[in-house]
Amino acid sequence: MMKALGSSRFSRRRFLTASASLGIGTIAAPYVARADDPTLRITGWGGKWGEIMKAEIGPAFESEFKCKLQIDSAFPYLPKLQASSRSAPIYDVMHTNSNEQWAAAEMGLVEPKIDPKLVPNLADVYPYAISDKIVGVSIFTSAIGLGMRTDKGYGSITSWKELWDAKYNGVRGGYVIPVNSLGQAFLMMCGTLFGKGQLDLDAAYTALEKLKPIKIVDFTGAMEKMLLSGEVGLCVIHDSGIYRYDGQNQPTDFVSPSEGVLSLEQVLTITPGSKMKELANAYVNYMLRPEVQKRLAETVWYSPANKKVKLDAKYDAKLLTTPEKVSKLIQVDWKWYNERKDEIDQRVNRIFRA
Amino acid sequence: MSSTAAQRPNGLALFILPSALLFALFFFLPIGLMATMSVLTGNPVVMPKVAFTTRHYARMIDDPFYLEVIWTTIRIGLVTTLVALAIGYPLAHWMARIKSRTGHALLLMAVLAPMLTGIVVRTFAWMTLLSDKGVVNQTLMSLGLIAQPLKLMYTETGIVVGLVHIYVPFMVLTLTGVIGRIDERLEQAAENLGASPLRAFIEVTLPLSLPGILAGSLLVFALAISAYVTPILLGGFQIMTLPILIYQQISANFNVGFAAAIGIVLLVISLLLVIAYNRALGLVSGQRELQ
Repeated sequence: MMKALGSSRFSRRRFLTASASLGIGTIAAPYVARADDPTLRITGWGGKWGEIMKAEIGPAFESEFKCKLQIDSAFPYLPKLQASSRSAPIYDVMHTNSNEQWAAAEMGLVEPKIDPKLVPNLADVYPYAISDKIVGVSIFTSAIGLGMRTDKGYGSITSWKELWDAKYNGVRGGYVIPVNSLGQAFLMMCGTLFGKGQLDLDAAYTALEKLKPIKIVDFTGAMEKMLLSGEVGLCVIHDSGIYRYDGQNQPTDFVSPSEGVLSLEQVLTITPGSKMKELANAYVNYMLRPEVQKRLAETVWYSPANKKVKLDAKYDAKLLTTPEKVSKLIQVDWKWYNERKDEIDQRVNRIFRA
Repeated sequence: MSSTAAQRPNGLALFILPSALLFALFFFLPIGLMATMSVLTGNPVVMPKVAFTTRHYARMIDDPFYLEVIWTTIRIGLVTTLVALAIGYPLAHWMARIKSRTGHALLLMAVLAPMLTGIVVRTFAWMTLLSDKGVVNQTLMSLGLIAQPLKLMYTETGIVVGLVHIYVPFMVLTLTGVIGRIDERLEQAAENLGASPLRAFIEVTLPLSLPGILAGSLLVFALAISAYVTPILLGGFQIMTLPILIYQQISANFNVGFAAAIGIVLLVISLLLVIAYNRALGLVSGQRELQ
């Protein structure tokens, strides 16, 4: 009997083995099928940016370059890159703001410049996007200025200095300077407004001291919510943070101060240890394509870096799309800032302590 | 016979092995790594040349700002613990002594219900109550009781309110078990001997519940000083605590060594306070030291 069972063509053991193999095969099939596709590991924002990257821009890149795009949108990125091996970095392309890119470049975690021979679209970007203030390439920028409520009877606001007006006590908004790019750029602006220039830190500290009481947040998204709820009436914010609510009848507006707007760059860099250099350069080039730039710009209200991009009239009217508009951008010397970051952080932490 | 039995490995001890390994891997190893990183100039895994340094600790000692942050963290932890104890003890006593099963179940549900919601959600709920445009200020202003919003958020008081709400269940649940095991006949005996109910509580129940007070307080204190979300949201970044400072160093300054040193300081403070609290309560309860 045992022999008969053992020689049976379809035993219970065989059935279980076949079922398990089929199950594992079904689950693993998509991964096995794509196992040969090279994977490009990048970083990217969440929100609207993340949505369109996941739905359109990312899949189109994967299809064209026969690869898989793995996007990490869990900020902060640099500490994770810092913790990974230099020869096998966690990212091939890092997308973040300029201040972090400078810190990464100083640590040797990203390549300081992009090769124009490998990224042909670099020839079409505005000078600010590859200036000496930029590591890698800025693919988009936002203008940092003032955001205001239009339903509080504040009147016309034209200057950064109006943020210091006592009538905004209790409804003034700013950022946690040690962790926020807008806050750091604004600190440099304070030096320009009340001192000898961006590098006049003493004047900036004195100005920040006079800015109290102020409500501070760590992310621009939080500031948007505060402005929308009326918790703040006048705040430092980037234009995208106001314009993205276009069409929703929100009582908010963006002010470009007469002294100029600060540049909040969206920068791409390639890691030196990446094993996907060719694909990484292709990705940077792809993100600078006029059609990709147009789609992203009109979704998230970022000003495109490519000069050849033609936006629809609604976006063109508000975003920085001409050399004249772009010339109003004030870029921050992040290399200089980062060298003094510890000292600045200690000072501003004291200033804004309750 | 007995020596043979003593030498034979206990089969049951093998069951402890996985949890012991897990504990070693996820508790001792990270703390050991953190301690190592705090005395190095960089990460030896990714940097070729690192050296021993005490500069991270020296920086904390040299700058009074960091000492103030340490004291703020401890102060928030202590106040949160005391308030949670003051609120939690009567509730735990009631839960432990209530005769009705339905009543006990309802109380238990009331204590556990807030824990079914995430800390972030509960903290945001407090923000809608305490902010300038929040329910409390808007109500008081609409009643004409105040002209300007009260500063309820962005203060230590606001943080303590949020933390107490989050951590009171931990205190209550710890105390309920201990108080429930105290023999009620001891209190009755004290009252039979002439003690008032209050004196019977102070002389009998309270000392016997000290282990619960100790355990609950240590739990709440440890959670409060290591809290990040609530101090950030209700403090509006204007109240700096050690966990916020650690996050800042990791995420924005990329200074892992200094962040590790702050972490070690936080750990040492916790251990010292645990030992001190343990001894103090031991003395109060008439023991040399609580085991």
